Amino acid sequence: MPHTAALAAVFSNLSKAADKQQLFETAERFARLSALFPGTRPADSTLESLRAEVARDVDRDYPALQAAGTEAADRGVLRAVKWGEKVSTAQRALIDRYTAKGDDLLNDKKLFVCEACGFIFLGDDPPEICPVCKAPSARFSTVK
Amino acid sequence: MYASRNIRLCNKDCVCLFVCPTGATDTETGQIDRLTCVDGCRVCVDACPSHAIHLVVEHYPEPAPKPPSLAEAMMALCERKSEQERTALVIADAAPTAGTARIARALARSARILAEDCAREAGYMIPQCDATRELMGRIASDHDADIRTIAEQLAGGTALTR
Ligand code: SF4
Ligand code: SF4
Repeated sequence: MPHTAALAAVFSNLSKAADKQQLFETAERFARLSALFPGTRPADSTLESLRAEVARDVDRDYPALQAAGTEAADRGVLRAVKWGEKVSTAQRALIDRYTAKGDDLLNDKKLFVCEACGFIFLGDDPPEICPVCKAPSARFSTVK
Repeated sequence: MYASRNIRLCNKDCVCLFVCPTGATDTETGQIDRLTCVDGCRVCVDACPSHAIHLVVEHYPEPAPKPPSLAEAMMALCERKSEQERTALVIADAAPTAGTARIARALARSARILAEDCAREAGYMIPQCDATRELMGRIASDHDADIRTIAEQLAGGTALTR
């Protein structure tokens, strides 16, 4: 049983899965459930504290899961861990670049997120192919 | 198996209407009529120039079982990524500059997608699986009316049946 903290993501994932099967009513219901579990927001949050959490995943959790996934020969876990480790590493790098340069880093550039794997890209247009999961540019959303 | 049209890809009014032996593709709703669709026929699937039709599997196999410790570890990471999403949202709301807010919203969206991927690999892959059904049962008994109503609608219908 997942803790309440995870339920928003569990349900939004099930909503996506239902949508792919074109079960639109089911997708809508899971989306509404997801919104009903917003979780508790942490009191003091800074880019620095977020960086520390992301770094912990990169340095500790992903390597541990990689080992556990290899031992269980679980291809699904290994795929998720491989993408997640790359995406998290890129998150950490983005925080570091932004911390060093501030808003100059952004200039007129846009931020895109790959909806398939979570990879964040800073540029004028999304990449033709996601460097992490190989999804085409149409899978990138623009961050408003 | 029955045919299902993805209206986001369909260019409308073309070959599936002519090739279907039963007229199941010719409806007012944009959806293919699953009751008149011939099980496994797939003529329209192969004919559609937009790759807008696929066959829907009615009975999904249970996802391959994982060692419980591995599923739990993926769920623990799902929780961490969910918490990082919320941290990023708090940063976005209190951001001193529009740039910081944008960076934080990108990080929040990215964290949610990672959390969803972990949820999938923790066993909550599709609506039609034991883990999802069991979760719906628990949600229905543990929470207030709004949540219970939706959980019961999901658990009561055919939505979660394999
Ligand atoms: S699969 Fe066959 S019967 Fe079903 S909608 Fe397509 S063409 Fe018609
Ligand atoms: S053949 Fe494909 S593109 Fe044409 S109407 Fe049917 S679903 Fe739409």
